[in-house]
Amino acid sequence: MKIVVAYKWASNPQDATVGAEGTVDWSRAKPGFSEYDPVAAELARRLADATGSEVIGLTVGTKRVDATLARKAALSRGFDRAVIVADDSLEGAGSTQLAAVLAAAVRHIGDVDVVITGDSSVDVGAKMVPTVLAGQLGWPAVAEVISITGDAGALRVERAIPTGTQVLEITGPVVLAASTDAAVARVPGMKDILAAGKKPVESLDLAALDVPAAAGTVTVTGTARPDLLARKGQMIDVTDPAAAAAELVAALRGAGAL
Amino acid sequence: MSVNTWIIVAGDPAIGTLIDTARSLGGSVSVAVVGPREVADTVAAAGVDKVTWFGEPGSAPAEAYAVAVADAIAAAAPSLVLAANRASDRVLLGAAAASLQAPVLTGVKSVAADGDAVVVSCSTFGGIAEETVSVTGPLALLLEGGPVPAASTPVAVDEVPAVPLGITVVDSKPSSFEQVDLGAATRVIGIGRGLKTKDDLALVDALAASVKAEVACSRPVAEGLDWLGKDRYIGVSGAHISPDLYFAIGISGQLQHMVGVRGAKTIVAINTDANAPVFKEADYCLVGDLYALVPAITAALQ
Repeated sequence: MKIVVAYKWASNPQDATVGAEGTVDWSRAKPGFSEYDPVAAELARRLADATGSEVIGLTVGTKRVDATLARKAALSRGFDRAVIVADDSLEGAGSTQLAAVLAAAVRHIGDVDVVITGDSSVDVGAKMVPTVLAGQLGWPAVAEVISITGDAGALRVERAIPTGTQVLEITGPVVLAASTDAAVARVPGMKDILAAGKKPVESLDLAALDVPAAAGTVTVTGTARPDLLARKGQMIDVTDPAAAAAELVAALRGAGAL
Repeated sequence: MSVNTWIIVAGDPAIGTLIDTARSLGGSVSVAVVGPREVADTVAAAGVDKVTWFGEPGSAPAEAYAVAVADAIAAAAPSLVLAANRASDRVLLGAAAASLQAPVLTGVKSVAADGDAVVVSCSTFGGIAEETVSVTGPLALLLEGGPVPAASTPVAVDEVPAVPLGITVVDSKPSSFEQVDLGAATRVIGIGRGLKTKDDLALVDALAASVKAEVACSRPVAEGLDWLGKDRYIGVSGAHISPDLYFAIGISGQLQHMVGVRGAKTIVAINTDANAPVFKEADYCLVGDLYALVPAITAALQ
């Protein structure tokens, strides 16, 4: 079986600064292997070890996703090899464009049985790329995946739904988005990082891939800081918890909140 | 220009906000319904113009209809496709967006038609900023679903039986947690890692009972610790709520959590760390031990 993990090399918005006009400055935010992607890598490695399969790490983005540090960080996560599409024209690309490039790369890799992704990316967090990727490939996608067993053509996938869990049997190729706590990912050790430097990496030329054109245009016409409600910021002295509680309850009643 | 809209339903007819949004743009409103016939019937009576239903799913999950839904929507070539922010609905929306090569926007705050374009304002990067974009060509939007719309005179349900993809549900287990609709709660108590053990939830439950609040949490409490159901997690990828009153108890108030409660009318924060970011976004700030303060507040309410 051929297993692809689609991962993202991205920065945490917590570390970005937002200017007065809502412009986001990422210069002080260090990118990394996106928050939930280690879970996807772990599920993929376990499935590969159980079935004697290959795991291919796949990412698309600007040139920085193909930097040595980024390559090693990814390949130390248990991938056998990596496929990378790095092109600065992908700066600011939306979910549909990224998914279209990922789909083209999956077709290029060929004979892929399952693509596994994290729950959501650390920067955008929309949970849409796996679903659009599946759409581009004509495959189904399943999110909130807890476990993956079985083999190509007969996968058994357990997933969380609002009322509990379901076990699904899947006969064709599929995109699976792992739930955030599907597995505890192993932390790469020095041995993994050293081995990562020796694993094969294939860099694909974006222009050579068969990526469908976007149907329309998206123009950013304005940015803003979030419009936050004004808060009172009233400090309540807690030296005496009973007095603090009484003061809080009185204040909440006075404000009509209770 | 009026904007013709398709709405996607993956088994849950709670799409009131989607219908209102589609109606505000002035064009026709069509709905692609995956799921049992009764869902299609509910949607058909929800004040829409056209309902397409793909037949009884049997043991096929909604995701098995991704290609059928995408093909139906591609054939209709609408300007706008909407779906509610739920896991299966996102899968079908992604399939439709791919078939139209349409951009997908999330975190949507407003949608308006402007000549040939659709103008959307949305929050970006987990809520740190907002962006207004003007889109020409087809567009897919993920919105919060809202309530099940009230019944009016139904339209006919157009039955288009589809062959599902090769996925079947072979087993299901109910959750051990009681389900909750946080969005409907007027008062919510959020707990975080400041709570030391699962047994200490009793303290919080007592406060919740005295203020008639639902109990919610930050991400680690529901994912990893597993003390509460995932539908009680508030934050960027969890619930976004606007209650009258929110208590943040033992929650530091990182951006990823606060973005989910910024709509609350009043916020009370209890935390031992005076520098916790939660105090910058609170109305009433109690820098102290929740184990002393929570029982005291419960007592003061009685």
